[in-house]
Order: sequence, then C-alpha cells, then structure tokens
Amino acid sequence: MRDFRARARERFTDPTRRRGFLVAFEGPDGSGKTTQRKLFKTWLRSEGHDVVTTKWNSSDLIKPIIKARKDARALSPEEFSLLHAADFRHRVEQQILPALWDGKTVIADRFLFTGLARDAARGLDLDWILKLYQPLLWPDLVFYFSVSSDTSSRRVTATRVPSFYESGRDVTNVDDPVESYYRFVTRVIREYESLSVIFNFLTVDAEQPMNQQHHHLRELYRQGENRPWSTWNEDAVAEWLALRGGRTAKGGA
Amino acid sequence: MRPAATGVIIAVDGINGAAILKTARAAAATIPRARRAGVSLWDASGLFGDLMIAPPAAGTPSARTLVLVYAADLAFRLRWEIRPAIEQGKTVVAAPYVATVVAFGRAAGLDAAWMEDLFAFAIRPDELLQVRARPSAHAGGRSGFVEFGRECLEALSPSAARAIAPRTLAKMTEAAAPRRPIAPRRPARER
Repeated sequence: MRDFRARARERFTDPTRRRGFLVAFEGPDGSGKTTQRKLFKTWLRSEGHDVVTTKWNSSDLIKPIIKARKDARALSPEEFSLLHAADFRHRVEQQILPALWDGKTVIADRFLFTGLARDAARGLDLDWILKLYQPLLWPDLVFYFSVSSDTSSRRVTATRVPSFYESGRDVTNVDDPVESYYRFVTRVIREYESLSVIFNFLTVDAEQPMNQQHHHLRELYRQGENRPWSTWNEDAVAEWLALRGGRTAKGGA
Repeated sequence: MRPAATGVIIAVDGINGAAILKTARAAAATIPRARRAGVSLWDASGLFGDLMIAPPAAGTPSARTLVLVYAADLAFRLRWEIRPAIEQGKTVVAAPYVATVVAFGRAAGLDAAWMEDLFAFAIRPDELLQVRARPSAHAGGRSGFVEFGRECLEALSPSAARAIAPRTLAKMTEAAAPRRPIAPRRPARER
C-alpha cells in the first residue's frame, strides 16, 4: 500500500501537468446549487478545463436499489445512510477517482457532507456516519449555498410536494409533507452550519441574485485553484489503485 | 444496544454459504419450539439479489462497497427479524452474522477497526458457531456472501482477488470470532 500512496502523491503533485481538482457544491434543497453548478461548469469549460459532473445518489449500481426502497418507504435511517454511503463509494471508485487521476476537474453536485447533514438530522451519530465514508476523499473546494429554512421551504414547495424521505417524514412524525419538510430542513441546515465551520466551507449567500452568486463563485475559485493537493487523500487514492491491481485507465501502471 | 429482554442470538459464520445454511437449520432444530424464532439469512433485504441482476455497465462493487451493502442488509435483518425475536425472549439463528463479513473485509485488505466501528450497531451474539467447510469449487455467487464477494473481486482484478483465498478467509473468520465461551449446547459442525 505504501507504493500506491507514493504513486498517488507523485501523480497529484507533479508540477508539469494539470492535476485533478475536485469541487463540491453543497447546501439544502432549494438553495439553487444545481443552477449555479451548471453555470460554473460552462464557465470552467470556457476556461479550457476538462469537466466531469457527478451527482448525489446517481450510480447505476446502487441508485435503482435505493429508489425502489424509497418508493416503498422501506428504509430505516441506518439503511438509508449505509446505502447512500455505498452509492458514494461506488461513484468515488468508478467515476470520481478515475477522472481526477486523468487530470480532470470534477464537480460534485452534493458530496459526502450531504450524507453527514441529512443522516445527522435523522438522529444518527456524526462520528459513525463519517466512518461510513472512509477512506475520506476531501474536495479541494466546497461551496456551501446558504439559505434559511423559510427560503428553502418556499422554493421547494412552490413547484412540488416534497417526497417522503426528502421531507423527513420518516423521522419527524408529521404527516403534512410541507410542514415536515420545514422541520426537517431546519435540522439539516443546522447540521450544515456546523459542518461548514468544521470543514471550512466557502459560503455563498444563496439569497442573493443568481448572477451575483456566480461571480462570487468565480472569485472563490480563483482564490483556491492553486491550493496544494491534500495528502489526506493518499489513502483513498491508494485503495483505489490497489483495487485495480495498480492499473489505471490512462497514465500507465 | 441489546433490547432489555432475554432472547438469544446464535451467529453462524464461515466461508461456505451452503454449509452455513445447513448448520443454521441444524442449530435451529435444537432450540425448543416455544423459544425458536427461526433463521435470519443473508440477503433477507434482497439488496444482493438486486446487485446480482444489475447490468454489467453499472460496474462491479469493490470489497468496501460490498461491506457497506452487507451492513445495510444486516440493519434490515436486525430491524425485522433479530431484534423482534430477542425482544420476545426467543432464540434466533443469524446466518451469517458479523464475523463472516469482517473476515471477508480483512482478507480483502480493509481495516479491521473500520469494520468494528461500522458494525457497532449489531447486537453481540450470545454464541458463535464457526462453519469450517471450505467453499465449494462449483458454488455460484448466489450461494452465499463470500462466494458472491469473491466473484466480484475476481471481476475487478484477478491479482486483488488472490488475497481472498479460502485459507486466508478461514483464518480471518477464526480471528473475527468474538472471544467469549461458546455454550455447550451446540449442534454438529460442518467439516
């Protein structure tokens, strides 16, 4: 494993090539992060970056399994948490790390902090949840789209009725989806605010006009794009290399 | 945390799915009918069944992903089969339980402490029956968790899968067994 760690370090600290860069977009539903993610991606491409997007709960392997059980309202908080961690791990191994290894910029529309915030809001122990995501892969930048519970509720419920798990009805014991959503998102935001302090999120005021937010993102990105690669990520990359027997899609063995 | 009742969990762990099942049924048969809650089996949740029918393009799960899915399956079994049984003061046979997946994960190179923390939600078994049968050469992935896991790892990387040799797994299963005396009431083991 030591050899794989050395290969990871060598690859991600090579000054002669553009290294893979991971940017996470986080925030409660209705914070407008998907819109901003699309604008940001278009801008990065115009700047010459090779950009890959990955979304929360989107792997072809685990997503259908989660969806079927969500539709049946069959998941306990622990099962919900574990399956989302499995989906995340599969995407890390199949999409995120291969793209980073190839020097691409990966934009994650929600990252592991979504799991932490939602599962903690469901009453699970934060330390246990964090363990599910080990070995941890830390993004180079985390943009946190900050909105109030009122704004999130207003935006989400303006166009649709929140689903059973989205509204946290599995833990609030409130039948009305709108009322349940408000209570649940209040808890989620509280968890996000704590995570924001612990993990140094870059906060974007998502109550501001869209254009203003986008320019703020560009500015934050410019300030952070030359950050050195975090050696905390060595274990995650080394495990991925070992998993593939040292083979990588590009860049040789 | 263990419910405040007098139920008993008998864990049956090993590396041969068919032998685990046979031993579990034999163990259940020795339990007086009034206390017998049946056998809680691997994949009661159907999660692995769904993984097996996923299209190849969905990708093959790694050992870590498999362990997380196993944990979700076990959480389901605890919720619907194991906890209710012990809350009623009954004896339930869990086949397999935690030692099997910990052995698999360790053989695949996962950190034992990580798995110990991951499975902290599982109730400690009162008895552990170790099934010492080796995997059948012809056993398919559907016969048990270890067989399915080995197939996945072989598909990912033959060199990585070499670590999941039967001998390694057998050693790991013994190492993963909880260190507490096994009650004398024990059915015949598979050899």
